[in-house]
Amino acid sequence: MSAPLVEIENLNVRFHGPRTVHAVNGVSLRLEAGETLGILGESGSGKSVTLKTLLRLLPENRTEIGGSVRVDGVDILSLDGRALADHRGGVASMIFQDPMLALDPVYNIGEQIAEAVIRHEGCDKAAGWARALDMLTRVRIPSPERRLKAYPHEMSGGMRQRAMIALALACRPKLLLADEPTTALDATVQIQILLLLRELQREFGMGMIFVTHDIGVAVEVSDRVAVMYAGEIVESGSVRDLIRDPRHPYTKGLLAANLHGAVKGARLQAIPGAPPALDAVPAACSFAPRCPLKLASCDLARPPVAVPAPGRSVRCVLAG
Amino acid sequence: MSTASFETIATAGTSPGYWSGVLRRLGRDPVAMFALLVILAMVLMAVFAPLIAPADPYRGQMLRRLRPIGTPGFPLGTDELGRDMLTRLIYGARLSLLMGVTPVFIAFFIGSAIGITAGYLGGKVNTVLMRTVDVFFAFPSVLLAIALSGALGAGIFNGLLSLTIVFIPPIARIAESVTTAVRKIEYVEAARASGASALTIVRVHVLGNVIGPIFVYATGLISVSLILASGLSFLGLGVKPPEPEWGLMLNTLRNAIYVQPWVAALPGAMIFITSISFNLLSDGLRSAMDLKS
Amino acid sequence: MSAPTSARTTLSTSKAGPSTAGPLLSINGLTKHFPLKGGLFGQSRGVVRAVDGISFDVAEGETLGIVGESGCGKSTTARLLVDLISPDSGSVILGGRTLGVDLTVRDLRRQVQMVFQDSYASLNPRLTMQDAIAFGPMVNGMARDKAVALARDLLARVGLDPGRFAGRYPHELSGGQRQRVNIARALAFSPKIVVLDEAVSALDKSVEAQVLNLLADLKAELGLTYIFISHDLNVVRYMSDRVMVMYLGQVAEIGPVDALYAAPAHPYSQALLAAMPSMDPDRRTMEAPLAGDPPNPINPPPGCRFHTRCRQADAVCSVTVPVLHALPQKGHLASCHLHIPGSGHTGAAPRTELAP
Repeated sequence: MSAPLVEIENLNVRFHGPRTVHAVNGVSLRLEAGETLGILGESGSGKSVTLKTLLRLLPENRTEIGGSVRVDGVDILSLDGRALADHRGGVASMIFQDPMLALDPVYNIGEQIAEAVIRHEGCDKAAGWARALDMLTRVRIPSPERRLKAYPHEMSGGMRQRAMIALALACRPKLLLADEPTTALDATVQIQILLLLRELQREFGMGMIFVTHDIGVAVEVSDRVAVMYAGEIVESGSVRDLIRDPRHPYTKGLLAANLHGAVKGARLQAIPGAPPALDAVPAACSFAPRCPLKLASCDLARPPVAVPAPGRSVRCVLAG
Repeated sequence: MSTASFETIATAGTSPGYWSGVLRRLGRDPVAMFALLVILAMVLMAVFAPLIAPADPYRGQMLRRLRPIGTPGFPLGTDELGRDMLTRLIYGARLSLLMGVTPVFIAFFIGSAIGITAGYLGGKVNTVLMRTVDVFFAFPSVLLAIALSGALGAGIFNGLLSLTIVFIPPIARIAESVTTAVRKIEYVEAARASGASALTIVRVHVLGNVIGPIFVYATGLISVSLILASGLSFLGLGVKPPEPEWGLMLNTLRNAIYVQPWVAALPGAMIFITSISFNLLSDGLRSAMDLKS
Repeated sequence: MSAPTSARTTLSTSKAGPSTAGPLLSINGLTKHFPLKGGLFGQSRGVVRAVDGISFDVAEGETLGIVGESGCGKSTTARLLVDLISPDSGSVILGGRTLGVDLTVRDLRRQVQMVFQDSYASLNPRLTMQDAIAFGPMVNGMARDKAVALARDLLARVGLDPGRFAGRYPHELSGGQRQRVNIARALAFSPKIVVLDEAVSALDKSVEAQVLNLLADLKAELGLTYIFISHDLNVVRYMSDRVMVMYLGQVAEIGPVDALYAAPAHPYSQALLAAMPSMDPDRRTMEAPLAGDPPNPINPPPGCRFHTRCRQADAVCSVTVPVLHALPQKGHLASCHLHIPGSGHTGAAPRTELAP
């Protein structure tokens, strides 16, 4: 077994400003080549911050990153200059919720893809444009020859998302990072993009980390799922195990809140309260204040990570 | 429904929490506080000029014309008519601040009224009001001020009038765009759904949320107004000699620029310091009024 | 738009719902087109057919869910219901009184209130929670001290301690708390109907469940009627008694929630339900039910508006506009040629004596 594609050890991310925010607290995760990991969490859970660390997209001057992050054997935190530029888009690339922000409005789609290919692979212009056409075909954009000359604002929402995926995959990255890429889309378009990503991931044999707040979306694309809460991974495991047998009270609450199969008229088992403010490193279980199964010990120390079955981990005293 | 009850709601909503927070944040901004101190010093200097100034601003002696800075008895030298520069700079703050602040202050009210009306009502009212404003806005402000002053003739009042007219269009534009943005926010829709009249909505929900940005913008215009007023005086419009006014002083001293360059530059330095202080204060105000920070 | 009117008779006679008297709210042929202005002199460059001749009834005490994708007109419908925008044609009848005839806008707004999606934008950043809620009653003539007392009472009712929250500003509250305040503000009028326009969509899932529980409690306590607009089909299923599916400004299908979810009749409703992500890792979605994006409501396709994306489209679909037609299940109607006997669609049953 070769080294994993992504290996994050004890990642800590703090944002300094008027008040310090402890966005990520001791996150460790692995991703094998060709595997898809879904990171599930609500706003402020640290899921996007974790993802952005893999491309070093966080503002350098006010972010403090601790721990180690390795992608394809390379230490990401020590990259700079040219090496970082090669990493971004070459080894790992990212797709976002809003393609209008990721695509440049003054260049057409073909130019943007060709330019990225020429920069990363040093090929000539013709080869760049050939790759652009190939990519638009692969993301199933109808009449791709014509669409090469289209500008982002001339495309519909779903089409723009496809164009952004084509741009992200143009240099054949080993790792695709997806930050809620279907959240802003209509339901019938969302499922098309999810299926496309699933197919492309298999076709290119790349690893994918997919950040989302929607359990259904995570189920559609992921092999494994990590659930984040208050900057920590509270539970991880195969998507099957997690959906059928959630062990962490937060995961259970999230599944209930999805309302899939909720009985009409019956009261929802809502998680009370709100997530904690992240102005200190958690000294106890972050979920304890909202937890229906809380024990006295939960307020005293951070619960250890329990491994109830191979490939699963739960940060809860009840799971041990 | 009484009008008084809305006054209470409006003030209850704005003054204690919001404005005290703005002042507290402004107080923590060292640059803005320094700028405020400079402006306060200028104002005090203008108010107490007769007490502070060492000499008579109008009386000069031909024998001691254009003395350099540091001459005994004349710490900042003398001008082309042998008048004490320090005295004239202190007295100059009176007219210069008057010419700088008053037009912006008046234009703030008129421009805001036009802009908020156009922005909230929209449609044809907006088109008529804003296209009219655009006609004035199309001229460069310096050119417009000179043209108006030229047409009205020299004098302090005509200078103030023409500067006020110059500043109404930009303030109205800002007011219109801010109001148009606020009008589309859901809380204004919610207020409409509660059956409130347009006037009530503007007073309770629109005014408090647009007046801040307009005020910040207007504060920034004071520096422009100072320079324009000085420019008018420099050209012989606006303030007339022998009144001490920084722009006018700059004009009359320009022949002495090769003889006593430092003395000749002093009124310019005063204009520069005052206008940059207003700019820095308006920047500080802008960030202090940002609720999300 | 005359086509849906013919189906309305069927709708009101076979309507599902607890009420035996007339409907509380009745919408007839409601239409709103927005002109697209452009150029120097604001000449028209076309119209957005945001809402195009929709008709439906709402019974007292029920929850009507409205679902559809962007551009289907569900938010425009919500704003038409509280007269934030005025319809081009069609009527709004509330409790037997017609808006603009014997019902004033003021009366309508007192009885029909709305909660918006964006909890932050819905609250004036310069007003305390107490003043935000008291504003409406004061506009309608209540004295300030009484309005403030009412506001504090309502804050408690939506689960916010007035002692802690009455004097706070919107930015000091979380999204869930702000949405509770917005609900309290809507309730300040003691309305009969509350229109919830994506009111829980922006909230995190765990907070959303709390607000849904609150909405259920308030409905039971105050006997409210909800019009619940959402893009989340799970939430709509949980909340609604009946569901209306909209597509490009028109009603595609309307019916009791269980019947519609179990056996959606309109191909668009079928696609919408099939597009929901699977919750079973062993039965993931294998094929997208629809290709492409929803078309633009500026120039909607002729005939059935869905025919350009419909797998079951036939020649008749691009020519004739289908009307809402009653299905075997009581109160279930769909506007699809497939279900209209004798429509000319090859999949439709032959014309019978009963059909118009």
